[in-house]
Amino acid sequence: MWCGTDKQCAMYQHNGEEIFVIDGHVHLWDATEENIKHEGGEEFIQCFYDYHTTFTPEERQWDMDEYREYGADRMVEDLFGNAAADMGIFQPTYLTDFYTEGFNTTEQNAELATEYPERFVLNGTFDPRDGEEGLEYLEELHENYDIPGVKLYTAEWRGDSKGWRLDDEESFEFLETCQELGIENIHAHKGPTIRPLNRDAFDVADIDDAASSFPELDFIVEHVGLPRLDDFCWIAAQENNVYGGLAVAAPFAQNRPGKFSEIMSELLWWLGEDRVIFGSDYAIWNPDWLVEEVMEAELTQEHRAEYGVEWDLETKKKVMGENIAALYDIDIEQKRQAFRDDEISQQFDLGDHYASEEPTAADD
Amino acid sequence: MSTQTSDDTAPTRAAIRDRLDRVTDPELDRSIVELEYIDRIDIDGERVGVDLTLPTALCSPAFAWMMAIDARDEVESLPAVEESRITLHDHMHEAEINRGVNEGLSFAEAFPDADGDVAAVRAELDEKARVARQYDAIEALLDAGLDAGAIVALSRDDLEMTDSTDTVAVYVPDRSFAVTVPNAPIERYLRKARETALVSEPADPLFRTPEGDPIDAESFALVHRRGRLAQVNLSSQGGICDGLREARERRTEESADD
Repeated sequence: MWCGTDKQCAMYQHNGEEIFVIDGHVHLWDATEENIKHEGGEEFIQCFYDYHTTFTPEERQWDMDEYREYGADRMVEDLFGNAAADMGIFQPTYLTDFYTEGFNTTEQNAELATEYPERFVLNGTFDPRDGEEGLEYLEELHENYDIPGVKLYTAEWRGDSKGWRLDDEESFEFLETCQELGIENIHAHKGPTIRPLNRDAFDVADIDDAASSFPELDFIVEHVGLPRLDDFCWIAAQENNVYGGLAVAAPFAQNRPGKFSEIMSELLWWLGEDRVIFGSDYAIWNPDWLVEEVMEAELTQEHRAEYGVEWDLETKKKVMGENIAALYDIDIEQKRQAFRDDEISQQFDLGDHYASEEPTAADD
Repeated sequence: MSTQTSDDTAPTRAAIRDRLDRVTDPELDRSIVELEYIDRIDIDGERVGVDLTLPTALCSPAFAWMMAIDARDEVESLPAVEESRITLHDHMHEAEINRGVNEGLSFAEAFPDADGDVAAVRAELDEKARVARQYDAIEALLDAGLDAGAIVALSRDDLEMTDSTDTVAVYVPDRSFAVTVPNAPIERYLRKARETALVSEPADPLFRTPEGDPIDAESFALVHRRGRLAQVNLSSQGGICDGLREARERRTEESADD
């Protein structure tokens, strides 16, 4: 073998072949009690915790204290320690009405992203309800961090408002600004209701008009619209700049494999293998076990026959890394070379993992 | 109701269960009886109490509200029932819901802080349920040998009850012959199609696109795929809700052990 222990090989190799894994959806959040200023903040982290325990193997579950605040060092180890992921993309979640310093802001994420700029991509956000000030903030994020994308939370509370739509006139003004600034990746949370946020503000229908009005931007619908997978797939089938982010669907692989097979089959049938994107939603789920579960998952014989799709090596390479690499102009080969002796590879002794494209003689 | 006795005697348990069986979890489109949400039924003369516990306690107060209201209305539709009392347990909004449902309040009255309209949410979920049920009905017709052209041309008056209650005769449009198919998926589809105000006239096309339009034969395959997708969506959400319920139960047990 040409990687470390057998256990490590299982994590980042699949049938002897390297798969470069970009975790398209990670957070560095602060839900400590000191940071919560509205009861919605406590409800929110409790609801996240329910999702965590529901789809995490029992022996890998965290306790509530470590879940509230895990910190930068632990995050680096969880993502890269066993080479489960090669890179991560930060998706901020501000929630400043619930948390004093925000829950998971670009500034908070920047702590790690600027320390390891080759390993992390740092995204920003906007909220059209912030008007002129919001536009200025978006430009500030662009200037300070050169953000290549934004994560949008259409159900976020702001004062009396319980959410906004991506096809509003105000939103279009922000999308125009994104286009001008070269912020091309628009990630929208369109998924399960997170108590106490209102369900309808996660309606996926507004993606349709936004995506057809901004063909130069790419719209990544996080959580593939669940519980509106049907609306999402139908929109994505018609708009080829709409992508599906697998967070929430991915951990079905672990304890509902038949369901995972069915959802993945639908996605591959409606969107094709080039527009489905892996994300762990860390720290809701941890790539250190999730990546392997998803890689090892299989489509049932029945679904393969019904849908005529495959979850094979080529498809996995695309979904686990190549698709989002294309969106973010990430050169995977160049990254592999750069990671041979970067700080993280040194810290976790991952040099062999990036040693060569071609399998060579055993070296351990 | 055939299971009903005369007006001046108490309603039967079977009649009440039969009524409750028509109530669905709107997000999953499955009967609340089949899903085992009903904890108990109390019959006291003309007064009936129904106790419910939902696994979707974490999913939405609006859905809990719909199920409680529907249970009340179904039970009270029995002539032998004078009054029902619905009691929802272990839900974070049980107080508001129990009070609202039993005092005849509207959703907006029961939840003054709620944003959005429960009727619109219900209509949207009914639409999804209709599309998912259509998939099963069409599968039954395909199994019976009908082709796309014949299926999209069907109207309700092409259906004819047979002597057996388990099957229905379906005439092809020129009425030259009929095929016999299982009644259950057809009846289940028709019930939801009526609820969504489609197929109200005998000559109306039986099957529709998710948007409610008649289907042309060329787009039949795609529309049928969308029906399958609607089913996958409903059952995926069921998987999430089941999972959340199990996780919550484990935690409740653990804290009870402490």
